[in-house]
Amino acid sequence: MTGEILLKTVLGGALITLFAIFFGLIFKGIDRKIVARMQMRVGPPIRQPFLDVIKLMNKETVVPENAIKWIYHASAIVCLASSAIILLYIPIAGIEPLLHGHGDIILIIYIFIISALAMVVGGFSSSSPFATVGAQREMITMASYEFPLAVVIIAIAWKLSEEIGGDVFSVYHIAQNPLWNSVGLLGFIGLLILLFAIVVVTPGELAKIPFDVAEAETEIAQGLLVEYSGRNLAMFYIADGVRTFAMASLITALFFPYNISPLLKNYISLGDFAIVTDFLFFLLKVFLIILFSVTLVRAGMARLRITQVVTTYWITITLIALFGLVLLMWDNQLDIPLPWVG
Amino acid sequence: MLPMLSQLLKQMMKKPFTNLFPAKYAPKNVRGYLKNVQEGKTKIIPPVGIPDEETFRGKIVYDREKCIGCKMCIRVCPAKAIEFKEEEKKIRIYIGRCIFCSQCNDVCPVDALHMSNEFLLADANKASENLIVE
Amino acid sequence: MKYEIPIGPLHPALKEPIMIKCTIEGERIVDVDVIASQNHRGVEWIGMNRNNPVQSIYLAERICGICNFCHPSCLVIAVEEITGIEVPERAQYIRVIQGELERIHSHLLWAGVAAHELGFDSLLHYVWMVREKVMDILELVNGNRVTKSIIMYGGVRRDIKDEHIPKLRKMVEYYREGFNKIAKLFLEDKTIKMRTRNIGILTKEDAMKLATAGPTTRASGVKKDVRQDMPYYAYPDFEVRAVTPDILTGETVGDTYDRIVVRLLEVKQSLEIIEKALDEMPSGDILSEPKIIKIINQVKKSEGEAIGRHEAPRGEDIHYVKLKEGFEYLYAWKVRAPTYINILSWRPMLLDMQIADIPIVAASIDPCLSCTNRVTIVKNGKEKIITGDELHKLSIQKTRRLLR
Ligand code: SF4
Ligand code: SF4
Repeated sequence: MTGEILLKTVLGGALITLFAIFFGLIFKGIDRKIVARMQMRVGPPIRQPFLDVIKLMNKETVVPENAIKWIYHASAIVCLASSAIILLYIPIAGIEPLLHGHGDIILIIYIFIISALAMVVGGFSSSSPFATVGAQREMITMASYEFPLAVVIIAIAWKLSEEIGGDVFSVYHIAQNPLWNSVGLLGFIGLLILLFAIVVVTPGELAKIPFDVAEAETEIAQGLLVEYSGRNLAMFYIADGVRTFAMASLITALFFPYNISPLLKNYISLGDFAIVTDFLFFLLKVFLIILFSVTLVRAGMARLRITQVVTTYWITITLIALFGLVLLMWDNQLDIPLPWVG
Repeated sequence: MLPMLSQLLKQMMKKPFTNLFPAKYAPKNVRGYLKNVQEGKTKIIPPVGIPDEETFRGKIVYDREKCIGCKMCIRVCPAKAIEFKEEEKKIRIYIGRCIFCSQCNDVCPVDALHMSNEFLLADANKASENLIVE
Repeated sequence: MKYEIPIGPLHPALKEPIMIKCTIEGERIVDVDVIASQNHRGVEWIGMNRNNPVQSIYLAERICGICNFCHPSCLVIAVEEITGIEVPERAQYIRVIQGELERIHSHLLWAGVAAHELGFDSLLHYVWMVREKVMDILELVNGNRVTKSIIMYGGVRRDIKDEHIPKLRKMVEYYREGFNKIAKLFLEDKTIKMRTRNIGILTKEDAMKLATAGPTTRASGVKKDVRQDMPYYAYPDFEVRAVTPDILTGETVGDTYDRIVVRLLEVKQSLEIIEKALDEMPSGDILSEPKIIKIINQVKKSEGEAIGRHEAPRGEDIHYVKLKEGFEYLYAWKVRAPTYINILSWRPMLLDMQIADIPIVAASIDPCLSCTNRVTIVKNGKEKIITGDELHKLSIQKTRRLLR
């Protein structure tokens, strides 16, 4: 019995990792293509990230003289591995995730931190002043976006415990009971605000413009990753794609867990294709989230200073998220029905 | 507040501004690609046209017959791209060194030098026949 | 904990042969040192030892690729002054048009670079797309997109043809319409404002003390412009006034934002000048002496010294030229490019700012070091930095030798 579970986990884990890498890179390609089209350029072909990875893999891996070698190498692996693990906990297209249990949403947040920390450690160990600045910045950014993120998640969990109960800190549970169905008008607005907050947190979480202070190319020359090359850089590169995909899937699970097959069943009989359509619909949702929280934002803004990143997250976004939380609370007391639900 | 966002969404729907010379994506093998183009298998996307054929300064054309060997062009050439062939009393121009200033054109007393419209002069070998005018 | 961060000579923010050594405490900059002279090209040496004056025009053109009109222009002004070569009026107007076209393309190029330094690549691509129009016009008028090769002692080498004029006017119209949009994208954007307002302030006093030039000094409220103070070419006809940021925003702070404002306004000013020049351009010759060999001989026969000044996009450009009778090359040639004096303002601008501000503040003076570096400090494979005092002593010795 235990053996069977272990086998399932290992095999499934390997499969999901491959899946995550594949879609992480594809979405990276799409993101680059769309940014290019927004800037009226042609842009690279969508398969370009794969070519990049292949090329990086074939390149020499240079290790700086003063680096602490084993940490320097290990952090690349840890970063990629931890990013891939996240996907094991997130329901994809409404399917039960491979690993889940009590409080796994907190675990997911921690794994996100681990992969960011791996980059920080790698940056420090590479002993370049640029990487050191980058690592410090990454830590500060991390500390600042975790707070609003925590507010969002607690707000959702609290609301769920009020309305439905059960294992409220489990992503799968949240995904099965979309909150939109059980809130009134105020709660609806509150949820929208929380969605906005998490969308703003996303570029920080993924180190994208305007919050890419840790890597800021024109300031500190890629910061954290300045010394990395070859295979190690390829791993960070893949990890970046996987994290983007994972973060978008997480938002999907928290806010848009709906499937399309129940709706379509009214019109056509899907049979076994239901799962396929659901999966495609899931990819579409992920794509839309990446489009609005990463692609458009990174193309349409300038990079902020680190102090501005901190004030944005700690004050503006946290206040916004708290306001969303308060609205959710009022929703319980006032209970104004949604105007469009009879 | 963020005027670029709407601009970006508008631009997304438009065609790219870039001229896709010579092909949409860089070919895997440039020489192979050029060979295919020569054989007519692939079509090359042309470069942006020349706005004014008269003023354009491209590869030099040299009218050997007209030249009287006065060496004036050699004297003014800032890049020292012109060489004098003593025995024939004619000149040889190394396009690889030429900076296309067309000063030699202005100075030539018999109008033996002209700037053509040819500007695709990339070559792997700077002493290749393409890059020497005589 | 204090530590040093070297920006340049190899750094993605500053692709120029110069080094800014910043001492950092946390994210704050506590000390700035600028180390120039990472590259020596020997341009002046070639002009004084190998090239005749006509060839030197094209050499001066290659001091800097972006301002490839202002350097030869300075040289030509100086030589014309010594030799007394006349310039027809039409040529003077064409020179003005060329100078202003260069300003437009240079400022737009800078705007793109500044956007890139802020991590705003979409704006970079947008501005450079808009800039393509002036590049097309340059290609149309000059026969090449970048190097103009237009100026010559005694006039210009190519006329602006009648059929070019409508296209030039169309370009002016295009930028008139596009100006508001670019201004909106730059000046109303919240993130750009956050990154540039009150960042890298150069006070009026500092600007005067450091004798900065061009948009850098005008953004601090110093009304200084060669075209206004000592008009040359046909500029007296245009009554150019130095542009300060308060024209648009109502106040002069002297920060990076103001330097963006000034450059954008100057693009607008250049458009007006071009339009007026097209309207009023007289007909006539474009070269007072079409025989180049004659010019070379005339220069060879002249003696004297002069200074050529030109308001380049980055500020006042100065060439000192000395000619000696019977000497085939320029007897002395000294280039003082605008960036050379502007880089000193980096220190007051950067002190107490953050690391994140280095790229944009450094870029805000539009540094172009291709034309700046000139001192060698390597001797017998060993590095030796020559201090100001030593340099002074050396130059006294040299003067003595020359006098003897
Ligand atoms: S165009 Fe200029 S560089 Fe070229 S050969 Fe003629 S004078 Fe020399
Ligand atoms: S200037 Fe003209 S005639 Fe004289 S050598 Fe050159 S090409 Fe021949």
